[in-house]
Amino acid sequence: MFDRKGQIRIIESFLAIAVVFSAMVVSVTFPSTPDLSKQKALANIGAQALIKLDTDGTLGNLIVQQSWTRMKTALDILLPLGVSFNMTVYDESGHAVNSESVQNSKLLGREAVTVQYLCANPSQTVQFFVVRLQLAWTG
Amino acid sequence: MRRRANSGQILLIAAFIMASLLVSAQLYILEVGKTSVEMAPNSADFALSIKSVSRNVVIGSLANISNGGVSDTLDLYLMKWASFVGSQYLYGKSVLKYTLRNLAPYASSVRLDWGGTGFGLSSAYVNFTHKLSDLGAGVDRSFFVNVTTTLLITSTNRRLAGDTRQVNVTINVLNEAKPASAEQITVYYLMSSNWLIPDQANNYTLLDYGNGTYQASFVAAFPTGSVEVSTHIIDQRGIYVQANVTSVEI
Repeated sequence: MFDRKGQIRIIESFLAIAVVFSAMVVSVTFPSTPDLSKQKALANIGAQALIKLDTDGTLGNLIVQQSWTRMKTALDILLPLGVSFNMTVYDESGHAVNSESVQNSKLLGREAVTVQYLCANPSQTVQFFVVRLQLAWTG
Repeated sequence: MRRRANSGQILLIAAFIMASLLVSAQLYILEVGKTSVEMAPNSADFALSIKSVSRNVVIGSLANISNGGVSDTLDLYLMKWASFVGSQYLYGKSVLKYTLRNLAPYASSVRLDWGGTGFGLSSAYVNFTHKLSDLGAGVDRSFFVNVTTTLLITSTNRRLAGDTRQVNVTINVLNEAKPASAEQITVYYLMSSNWLIPDQANNYTLLDYGNGTYQASFVAAFPTGSVEVSTHIIDQRGIYVQANVTSVEI
């Protein structure tokens, strides 16, 4: 009777060890670092979109005019489907300029990549801005 | 005795709790690590954007100067831009240098030539060098920015009755030698040493051909067929230029 109890204890202990061990194995197999090539591709897409948007100084003009809705529409057109973005514009002193968010969906909990772009508006009073565009795949 | 019999099951339950804690802790660490990765821009893209924005700075400065701003505006904005490029690049060293052109007809990289017959020109020409060194490949490139708005006008007039004449002015606007649109066009004519703007009373019309060519037409009384005409324009970039011409009687 005592012998059988002892065997069950040993089996239970092995089971406990197996459970903890498998949990460790599972957690180790989670991808610990983001896929850099995917993120680099996303950053390139973002940079190209900003360069296109800045053709003829459009980006700088939209910032000065505070046309955030037009800015969002332009980014919606320039970025491929399945890309979420959130753009923040800073002035030369580092203060955020956009009074409302320029984004198509929340990036919370997603692997996001940030692209920085410098721009200036081509008008009589030239102002300089830093545009930070956060991007993430929605899929 | 009953407690002893259950101790193995408690061990298993504890193991399950530990396992779930391990997995959830790992998931939490992954979620927290998923915030945002700052990516250094591609060197070629960054260099391209520097050239593009440098051009915008020159356009804005020329718009300022041609509209009556002080002549050192270009130098001031370029200085600010070069300093901004140096301070805002976070992934290495970015140095933008510029050289103002002081070779005639340019002075401090600006040329405002509004005195020619039938011809006006506002131009800025700046040489740049951009050096970028970071962990990736470095970039060392030179480029120039030439922003030129040219205005070409010709004019003819014909007598209608008495001293009344119809004056036609053909206006051509060019940006970097390519046809461009004007944001604003104002035509003047000289009458008794005063420059006057033709209005509805002069049957003033302005026809836009859509290819950088405009035709202004008006009627006024002139004692002779020699009519002095002036045209002032602001192009789509905000750059001002003017030109004068003597209208030819046909």
